[in-house]
Order: sequence, then C-alpha cells, then structure tokens
Amino acid sequence: MTRRMTRRELLRVGGLGSMVAFLAACQPKVVEKVVEKEVTKIVKEVVKETIIVEGTPQVVEKEVTRIIEVTKAPEAIAAPPAAVEGNVVVMHFRHELTEDEENQFEADNPGITIEFVAADLTRFFAMCAAGTPPDLLRCQAPSIPQFLARKMLYDLTPYFEISDVLSLDDLAPANSYYRGYSPVAIGDGPIYGMCKDWSPDFTLFAYKPAFEEAGLDVPDDTTPLTYQEVFELARQLAVFEGERVVMWGYGYGDWWVDRIWMNVLGELDQSLYADSFTRIDLTGNEHAQAVTKYYFDLASENLVANPLNPSPSWNGEDFTKGTLALLQFGYWYSASAESDITAGQVVMLPAPTWAGVRRDPTMTATGMVMAAASKVPDATWKVFEWYNGLEPAIARAGGGWGVPALKSMYDLMPSETEYQQQVQRVLQEEFKYAKVTLQFNPFLGETTTADVWAKNLELGLRGDITFDELLANVETEVNTAILEGVDRIA
Amino acid sequence: MSTVQSPARRPSIRRRLSSRSWRRTVAFYTFIAPWLIGFVLLTVLPLVLGFLTSLTNYDGLNLANIKFVGLRNYTRAFADIDTRFSLGRTLTWSALNMPIWMILAFILALLLNRDVKGQGVFRTLYYLPSVIPVVATVWVWKIFLDRNYGLLNAIISLFRPGTAIPWLSTHALLGLTAIAVWSGLGWGMVVFLAGLQGIPDELVQAARIDGANSWQVFRHVTIPLMTPVIFFVLVNGLISSFQQLVLPLLLAPTGMNVPPPRSSYLYMIHTYRQIFVYQRFGYGTALLWLLFIVIMIVTLLVFRTERYWVYSEAAVGEEGR
Amino acid sequence: MMVGETRFRFRKVMQRPASYAILILVTCLISLPVVWFLLTALKKDIEYLSYPIRILPEVAQWENYVKVFTTGGFSFSKYAWHSLFLALSFSILTSFTSAMGGFAFARFQVPGRDRLFTIIIALLIIPAIVTVIPQFIVFSRLRLTNTYWPWILWGLTASPFHIFLFRQFFLSFPSELEDAAEVDGCGPFRVFWSIFLPNAKAALATSFIFNFTWVWGDYFTPMIYLSDAKTTLAVKLATSYLDPKGHALYTITLAACVVYTLPLIVMFFLGQKYILKGMVTSGLKG
Repeated sequence: MTRRMTRRELLRVGGLGSMVAFLAACQPKVVEKVVEKEVTKIVKEVVKETIIVEGTPQVVEKEVTRIIEVTKAPEAIAAPPAAVEGNVVVMHFRHELTEDEENQFEADNPGITIEFVAADLTRFFAMCAAGTPPDLLRCQAPSIPQFLARKMLYDLTPYFEISDVLSLDDLAPANSYYRGYSPVAIGDGPIYGMCKDWSPDFTLFAYKPAFEEAGLDVPDDTTPLTYQEVFELARQLAVFEGERVVMWGYGYGDWWVDRIWMNVLGELDQSLYADSFTRIDLTGNEHAQAVTKYYFDLASENLVANPLNPSPSWNGEDFTKGTLALLQFGYWYSASAESDITAGQVVMLPAPTWAGVRRDPTMTATGMVMAAASKVPDATWKVFEWYNGLEPAIARAGGGWGVPALKSMYDLMPSETEYQQQVQRVLQEEFKYAKVTLQFNPFLGETTTADVWAKNLELGLRGDITFDELLANVETEVNTAILEGVDRIA
Repeated sequence: MSTVQSPARRPSIRRRLSSRSWRRTVAFYTFIAPWLIGFVLLTVLPLVLGFLTSLTNYDGLNLANIKFVGLRNYTRAFADIDTRFSLGRTLTWSALNMPIWMILAFILALLLNRDVKGQGVFRTLYYLPSVIPVVATVWVWKIFLDRNYGLLNAIISLFRPGTAIPWLSTHALLGLTAIAVWSGLGWGMVVFLAGLQGIPDELVQAARIDGANSWQVFRHVTIPLMTPVIFFVLVNGLISSFQQLVLPLLLAPTGMNVPPPRSSYLYMIHTYRQIFVYQRFGYGTALLWLLFIVIMIVTLLVFRTERYWVYSEAAVGEEGR
Repeated sequence: MMVGETRFRFRKVMQRPASYAILILVTCLISLPVVWFLLTALKKDIEYLSYPIRILPEVAQWENYVKVFTTGGFSFSKYAWHSLFLALSFSILTSFTSAMGGFAFARFQVPGRDRLFTIIIALLIIPAIVTVIPQFIVFSRLRLTNTYWPWILWGLTASPFHIFLFRQFFLSFPSELEDAAEVDGCGPFRVFWSIFLPNAKAALATSFIFNFTWVWGDYFTPMIYLSDAKTTLAVKLATSYLDPKGHALYTITLAACVVYTLPLIVMFFLGQKYILKGMVTSGLKG
C-alpha cells in the first residue's frame, strides 16, 4: 500500500491573495482537502502535481493533513499524531517575534499554541534543570558546537526534506553554522536549525565628515583596505581635546573580538585553537600574537573605546551621533547607521583584509534550534517553518536589518535610496566571500575568550602587566575554561 | 500592679506560671508558623540543593552527567587571586559606602521629622531616587559621570581644559558610591523616619521642660530610643552592601557583555560572572556560600554588641519579671 | 513651667525658616539627577550623551510618552494589572504574616526563639542566586511555574527582612501594655490584634510600601517564572523599547520608567501621611 504525494509549491510575489497549502503530518489513512489561506509570499513558481491515490476527499473545517512517504527519516513515522497540535514553548525576544505575529500564527494553525518565554539565560538553565527546555530556542552560531556536543539538538534534516516552504538548496551560506557532522566539523551535514537573518559581519561603515575633517578621501568602496591601513586611518581620524575624545578613530564589536581574530587567522589558514580545540595558542603562534597586538595597540592609543576609556553607550550609537569615524559592523547595521545627524553621510566599505585573502562570513548567525527533548516536534517544526519561511521572514527581509536566510528572499532587501543602493552594491560583492564558516570551540561559552581578553586588557592598559604577560594570562585562563568544558561534556 | 501571694497559695502559682509559659510557647510558634512552614517547605530544599551544587561541576546544562568534585570548588576559591581581590574591593566598598549612606539617611530623616508645611512633598522627593528603576538611574548618572561626554568632567574642564577623569572605569568605585548612596537614601530615610515617629512626643517635651536643649534631647532621648532601628539599618545595610551586584554590573561599559572595571570588581560580580559567563555553577555557588559565612560572621559580631548599645523595652521589661 | 513652655515654643518658631532653607537646599541636591531623568525622557536618542553637551532637549519630545504606550508592542493596561495584582497581594500577605512573626520574636521569651531568629538573619544573608534555580525546580515540579502562585505562597510564608523590621519595631513597646492586657484576660492573639497592630501603623505602612515597590519593580523573578503573556510591567518596560536589532532606545525607555515610577510615588505620598497620622492614637500616652 504505497501512497505517493508530490509536492506543489505555490509562491507568489509580495501581494495580496496568495494561497498556500499547509501542514505535514503522518496519517496514512485519511485524506482530506487542502485548506487554503491568504498569505503574502514571493515568487518562484515551481508547479508540480498533487495526486491523491485513495479515499474520497473529505471537507474538514480547520485541520489539514497530508500523506507523505518518508523514506529517510523513520522518526517521522514512529508516532503519527492525528493532527499537528501542541503547545510549543518558544524562547525568544519579543521584538523579534511579536505578539501580533504570534496571534496570526495561532489563527492560521488552530491546535498549535505558542507559549512565549522571554529569552533569559537564567531561565534557560532553570528550564533545562527542571527537565523542560524550550522547544524552540533563539541562539547564535557559537552555541551550536556546544549544544551538539551535549546532544541537545533535534535533527531537522527530515523535516527540511519534506518541507514546502524551506528547502536546503535555498539556504544562504550562513545557515551552514547550523549544520555539522560533529561539534568540531561544522559547516556541512545534518541540519539542526537555521538563522533568522545574517550579514557579512566584517564590512566597514565610514562617516564622511570625519574624513573631511582629517583631510582624507573616503576610501573607494570597491577595493578592500588592509587592517594596517585601517589602523593608519584611525590614527588620522581620531580627534582629541586634551584627554577627552572628541571623535573616535575606529570601532568594532569588542564583545566579539575573538571571532574577528578567528576570521583574520583564517586568511592565513591558522586557528586560535590547537590540539582539536583543547587549548588556545597565542604565545606560540606569531600570527595570533600579531593580531592580538594590533587590537592592544588600538586600545592603548585610545583609537577605540576600551575598558579605561569606555563608550557612553555602545559604538553603534557613537557612530550615529557623529562621534565615530570608522566602524566595523555587518550589513545589519546599515539600517540604523543613518540618524538625523549622519543621514546621507554614511558609506559602507568592503571588509578589510589582513593578508590579502578576502573573507567575510557572519560571526553570529542568530537563529533558532529545536530541543532534542521536545515532546511536540511536529508542532514545533510548524512554528519553525513559519518563522523562517513565511510572513515573519518576509517582514524581516524587507526591513533591511539583515540579509534574509533564504536566497529566494534576497530581492526583498531595501534598495530605494542612494545609500541603500550603495550598500547593496558592496553587499553583493561581499557575498562571494561569505561562504566560509568560523569553527567555534565546543568547549567554551560564547563570550569566554573575548571576556578573558577584555579583563586582562584593562590590566595591560593600566600598565599592571606587559603585553606578553597579557597573552600568557589569556592563554592560561582560557585553557582552564576549555578543560572544564571538556570535563563537563565528557 | 503587684499581687501579694500568701504562702498557702504558692503551689497554684507555680501551676499557673508554668501553664502561662506553656501558653506563651504555643502562641509563639503559632505566630511564626506561616514563616516556619514556608521555610521548611519552600526554602530548605532549595538551600540543600544549592549547597549540593557547590560540590559538583554543574554548568547549567550537564545535569545528565554531573560529577561530584567534593570540596574542590571551595579550595579553588582560596587559591583564586580574583576571589581575594574582589573580596578586598568589597570590604573597601562597604567601608566607603555604609557610613556615608547611613549618616546622610539619618540626617534626612531628622530634617523631615519636623512639623513643616509640605513635608509630605519633601519626603516623597527624598524617597523618589530609591524607586526609580536601576536601569534608569544608571543611564541618568552616566550623563554626569561619563569620561568624555559627562557633565562633571565638562564642568571641571572649565577650569582645567581637556579633563577626562574616568569616574566609571579607573575610579569606578567612586562613581559607584555616589550612585549607590543617592539611590539608597530613600529606604534608609523611611526606616529612620518610622523610628523617629515612634518616639513618644511627651518624652521629648518632658526633657525640654526639664531644661534640655536640642542637642541634649537628641543625645539622651532620640538616639537611645532609635538604637533598635539604627541596628536594623546597620545590619541590613551591611548585608546588602556585601551583596551589591546590579548597580556595578549595569555600570560596566556596554552593559553586561564586558567585564566591569577592576575598581568596582565586587565579590558578587566575581561570583555572578563565574556562574553566567563561565557557567561554573559549582564554583559560583561555593563562592556564594563562602560569602554567606563571611557576612554571617560580621553580622553575628554586630549582634554580639547588641546588648551594649541597643535599647529595648521588652528586654528591660523581661529583666524586671 | 510656663516660662519653659514659652521658651520652647519660641525656639520652635525661630527654627522654621532655617529648617526650610536647609530642606530646600538638600532637595535641590538630591533632585538634580531626577531632573536630568525627566529631561532626558524628553530627548531624542541621539541627544542622549551627545557632544557638545546639551542639558535641554532641542525640541521636547512629548511623543516619547505616547510611544511608551503605543510602540511597545504590548497592552500597557494588561501588564499593569498583572503587576498591580502581584504587588498588592504579596504586600498585604507579607506585611501581615511578617508582623505576626516580628511580634512573636520581640515579645515572647520562649525556648528556641533565639536560635530561630538566627536562622532568620541567616536567610537575609544568603544571596538569592543560590536558590533561584533550585526553587524553580521545586515550583516546576509542583506545576506552579507560569502562575502567580509563587508570589502568593511567598506572601503567606512571610519575609525574613520584614520579620526583622517588625521585631525591631515591637521591641520598643513598653511592657506595661501587655501586662495590662493580660490582667484583663486577653490571650496573645488579642494582644497582638487589638493593641500592637493598631499601634504599628508606621511599620505596617513602611513594610507595605517596601514590599509593593519591590514586587512592582522586580524584573528577575517574573523573568524566571512567567511566560510572556503573564509577565509583569517591569519586565515589559525593560525589554520592549528596542530598535529592531535589540539595542535599547534610551529616551523612550526612560519615559517608560517615568510612567512606571509614578504609581509608586503617589502611593508613597499618600502613605507617608498615614505614617504620620498613625502615631496619634496610642496607649502609650497612658
């Protein structure tokens, strides 16, 4: 008794009155008619046919069930529910998954309720300790190796394969962070989640008046600078008034500095970590020494905000107030870079290189994963699919706050103003260099290395320790943390 | 009011007295029953679990393969330079913060205890800083204390141009003290005020009629009767200053992602980071229990001194029984 | 005696302008940051900590206050009601049960009392972080997470801080009151209810206000126990005014803080009058 169902995908460009067929569940016997709904989607018409082999179509008011033949994922057949329903606990940020969106989903999918829990680390640990982790968790790329090592993630490959909405081919490169054969082999293999959006994170934003003040030309947006050139520019762009900083020369994501190092070292085929990630190697690696020294010098010359000379809020705001000349953030920053003060004065530049090799991956890849312990995987998948492939994803794409996770949605990125078009031009070029991934250490927390660095940086800047001692300290402390991590996971 | 008992009635006095003290015992336990039940059911178990955590390598996610490490976390605390450093900072901080705060709060309560018009408005204004959300307090004070764009440095720059004193990084303890005193005045003032209100008026008037001036009234009537309240504020103030966490955490540059400056690296911050940045729940919990012991010792010492300087009617009354 | 009284009254009159002057000076100093607070709530985000320093906003952004209610993405009144319910129930319950406990510790010389009181003090010292996750597990097993029951239970089981507060307060009552009542045949509970409690209005008001303020502003506990639909205003206000990337919009959040603090101020303003009035009648006057 074989049933076969081929897929039909109907997708129409952002307008009114598109229809979509929903839901996947296993129900070998009953076949029912597809209920259609109004949804806005994008174009890509790939029409295939639907064949219903047995039974008479019956009209069911609300629910839709479909017959699928699963050849690759036995889990899907294991416990066939009557319909997809359940209470899905989602841990996320309210501004990224709003109440309106939640209500819309629940209206479209009666039977599934979303229980929204605000993302909070303590709450997450507490829920895990109580044995009730959230079904869907907002997380970032560096957490994936850790979660994989602890076997906390649900393998979503089977769901992707049968989904109408999400297809593995359509995934942007950043989603590779959510794929891995093992915690130390991230990039390809079974997929455990996907990002909600992403950006090539190493691009630069320049504030034109700062350059004019310093008598410099704004760099050309087709040729990448080198990091050494950036340093020189920062020196010339920074403006001081006595001890006061009037204009910061440069800025970058300090709390992610180790990821920047990883990317730079990647140009030289080097890694921060040695011996299968069981230790960090700074003092023994001259390249790592050079890179970290670079950031130390930036801080000691007060060209960037540092522990002794902090920014009043964060460097993104410094830039929008017109007090920061050159800032390294990804495409996502473009949406906020223009404020009343900086409007029309911002230029996005390609990512700088250290050794001439262009690499511009994302270093966060914020997205979501499903808990291995989830009791309602089908319902959870519905939420996942909706959030990443339907209305919310489309809304995100048009906002300009990140590159969409699905390549088919790339056209939705804003490009009306001259500024947006300039940004898009640079972005399209950066895409070519965004296919690499950074391999994070499965034994460390997301911020451990950057944190240890910042703490010792303060001591170094105050002169309490030398730079070599700084590196040695960072090494010792990070290695301790790694060994603990190994101990915990083993 | 005394009762004269004839010898013949003595046995029944004893019976009455012992049934009286039995009734008092029952009454006592009835009165504290709500707290006691809650303590046993809702607090003891979490405490025990919390203590057990300090003997493991729990990291928030490894409940399935957790390991017992005995007292290793505790011995680590003694070897850890950062732990000792943070304890030192906390002692410095308490020594700086407590006297300033208590004295100012007391003075404010005295000022507000008078019969002036609109005192309700004044009291509310003085209480206001302590109810403003911590986050708002921090953001607003940053306007004043920021190194490059703050008002304080701008004012100083009028005299010495280009001044950029890092009130929130290198000298973070000073910045922290200013903010903590300002925002803590409210509750101290309220408690002191409640205590001052509890001093019977006729005692003050009697003293004045006897010829005492304001200072003597203050010294011989107000202060002695206020000692229970001062004791309360002192104990709670010490405890909370040792446990100070949220304010210095929020003052750290760019919020909580980056470590707070060394100057304000208090013990609780050290512990918080062990738990939430490094996921060392076991070690962090051990640090918390060690802090508990330290505070306990300090508090017990203060309690030891209670009978020497704290006035209590009930104690006096009991001695007379 | 007459001369003494006149001199006394004269001194009181003389002190008044001096008192006012000092009060006003101190008020100005203390309220300066509050003024900044209010001014910043009327600024645009780029005016926050800008250079050159601006004290007054260029254009007062009154719409910040409108945005507090409209752009948060949540129903203000719904969450305000949650906060109100929790704060009221917790405060009333805690104040009462803690008054009972404080009375017992202050007035009964009973075996075991001091040891139990040491536990109370010890509980004050234990940092809350120690018990957060274990307590969550306990409540989770009882299936009480995502409900308001934890607050009710905490209220019913009193608070060490407030037991301590009431103990200190009741310590200063003269023992004649109790003796007189006992001779009249009152049991301990009557003594508590009819004599001590009515005279403890200052402490009750203080305790209530502290409790209310704490629950109203508590951010961490609702984060741990409540889902987004049931959470309190404090959590919503702290996390809702963000740009799409999650960075806080400072000035709107400050405006939200103003709105959120107002009920506390009003409550305190009304309550502090009560503290004053409450002390008028008392058996202390013999």
